[in-house]
Amino acid sequence: MAKLLVVAEHRDGKLSVATLELCRVAKEIAPALGLEPAAAVFAKDDAIAKEVANYIPTVLSVTDAAVAAYTADGYTQAVKAVVESQDVKGVLVPHTYDGVDYAAKAAMAIGAGIVSNVNKVVAEGGKLVCTRNIYNGKLQETKSVTTDKFVISVEKGAYDPAEAGAAGSVTAVSASFGEIRTKVKEVIATSAGGVDISQAKVIVSGGRGLKDADKYKDIVIPLAQKLGGEYAGSRPVIDSGWTEASRQVGQSGKTVTPDLYLALGISGAVQHVAGMKGSKCIVAVNKDPEAPIFNIATYGIVADLFEVVPGIMANL
Amino acid sequence: MKIVVCLKQVPDMESKFKIVDDKKVDESQIAFKINDFDNYAVEAALQLKEKLGGEVVIVSAGPDRAAKDIRQAYAMGADWGIHITDASVYDADGFVIANALAKAIEQIGGVDLVLTGVQSEDLQAAVTGVMVADLLGIPHCTNVVKIDTADGKAFTLNRELEGGLNEVLELAGPAMLSIQSGINEPRYPTLPGIMKAKKKQLDTKSAADLGVSASARTAFIKMFVPVSDSMAEIIQGAPAEAAAKLVDKLKNEAKVI
Repeated sequence: MAKLLVVAEHRDGKLSVATLELCRVAKEIAPALGLEPAAAVFAKDDAIAKEVANYIPTVLSVTDAAVAAYTADGYTQAVKAVVESQDVKGVLVPHTYDGVDYAAKAAMAIGAGIVSNVNKVVAEGGKLVCTRNIYNGKLQETKSVTTDKFVISVEKGAYDPAEAGAAGSVTAVSASFGEIRTKVKEVIATSAGGVDISQAKVIVSGGRGLKDADKYKDIVIPLAQKLGGEYAGSRPVIDSGWTEASRQVGQSGKTVTPDLYLALGISGAVQHVAGMKGSKCIVAVNKDPEAPIFNIATYGIVADLFEVVPGIMANL
Repeated sequence: MKIVVCLKQVPDMESKFKIVDDKKVDESQIAFKINDFDNYAVEAALQLKEKLGGEVVIVSAGPDRAAKDIRQAYAMGADWGIHITDASVYDADGFVIANALAKAIEQIGGVDLVLTGVQSEDLQAAVTGVMVADLLGIPHCTNVVKIDTADGKAFTLNRELEGGLNEVLELAGPAMLSIQSGINEPRYPTLPGIMKAKKKQLDTKSAADLGVSASARTAFIKMFVPVSDSMAEIIQGAPAEAAAKLVDKLKNEAKVI
């Protein structure tokens, strides 16, 4: 039977949760597509492959110095080798930093169409239908692939991780590698040190809606202090230098789970939500009634935050 | 250095998106602008040009309205550009658009570096730039947050990773880099810049002009308004009144303060 192949992701010998989420997707949709769920692991040895085998019945392991560290060229060549030798019809890749770097290139290498950043995959009448966010999550679209083979990259957190079950098989697959044109030097921490906001019970977080650095300082910091919590921000706030990088919440920053997360002027892009959706109570203040942050918040106020925050301060 | 920036015009994400016939949005409600991530790519290109000399060329596929934002990049300092105005290109998928952009870049010739934003704000697919690199047979790096080069040929790059990590890597040009927000502070056009932009060269090209023969590898089915099963309880009233109600709920209902 042709395979629906999850490409595993790992860094520093640690398997990513996104890989386990893909294992769930593969096992869920493979039967309706007449495919067999499987995973491929590219690494220096087969330790990760053995771990992945707890989550999916068939694991194909490519062990080579060329894929000891992630590179787009290395992963693309490995995907191509496995797809060509192992009767693979579909490839599932996590829509993460590494996934974004090679998924489209791997699709080109195997002549497949790609639908990326997908949050739901179903088989309707044996055909694949992918749902994804558009316009910052205000709308969604469905897409299909018109080529024989397909690649889908799946949004991180869209599915729950697969649960471990009986150990599956690990089979070595050989691949020959050509040139790897990027050379990895090192991985560094950019926000080393600084404050640890991940332990705070209350977080007041500001977004683009704060307008400028002075307003961020005048609105967000005093409210955080009055609530005995920490202040934080979404990506645009950190990009603009309104506060330090160690206070960034989201995919490229910290993941936080406070009792109260107050989102001021934050639209609720998926990358931000990934870092705070586990908060116990989420409050959103935004003047755009269609801002996606309201889809995950507990309480919402649709108004100008500059008028709402003084009212909150006055009642504390 | 000859640097190409692939630029996309997108709706302002705070616009009201009204769906027409399950397949498109009503553009009369929408203001268009440069994709925010592309602003950072234009700025990165201009900084490299200032350091090493050369020119910055804009390539964009989109309807006639996109010309306004190509000229916006000119006003920032880009030198000239190509506007692919064929709906059979910009209405197709990322694969067809990547083919057209790659053909345009080949026609320009002698390109040392191709820059794009990390993704478009509207579709957030993050595939087109990588496909362009593949079609041109050049290496790429996505989510670039730092560019170091002494000669415009050998590059040391920081690629953003999860949780505040960066991967430091090296590659040799010509190459394609997708630029992440925060890498720089995009400049605002100056009045003289805006005046000069009006006179700069903008070549319009069709799919036939570029010799694009690719057909789409994905098909759009429909668009719709997502239904959330966990929509917020919206607190009504004037701002001061809503604020007071919110504090009461946080204290007595959610019991989190």
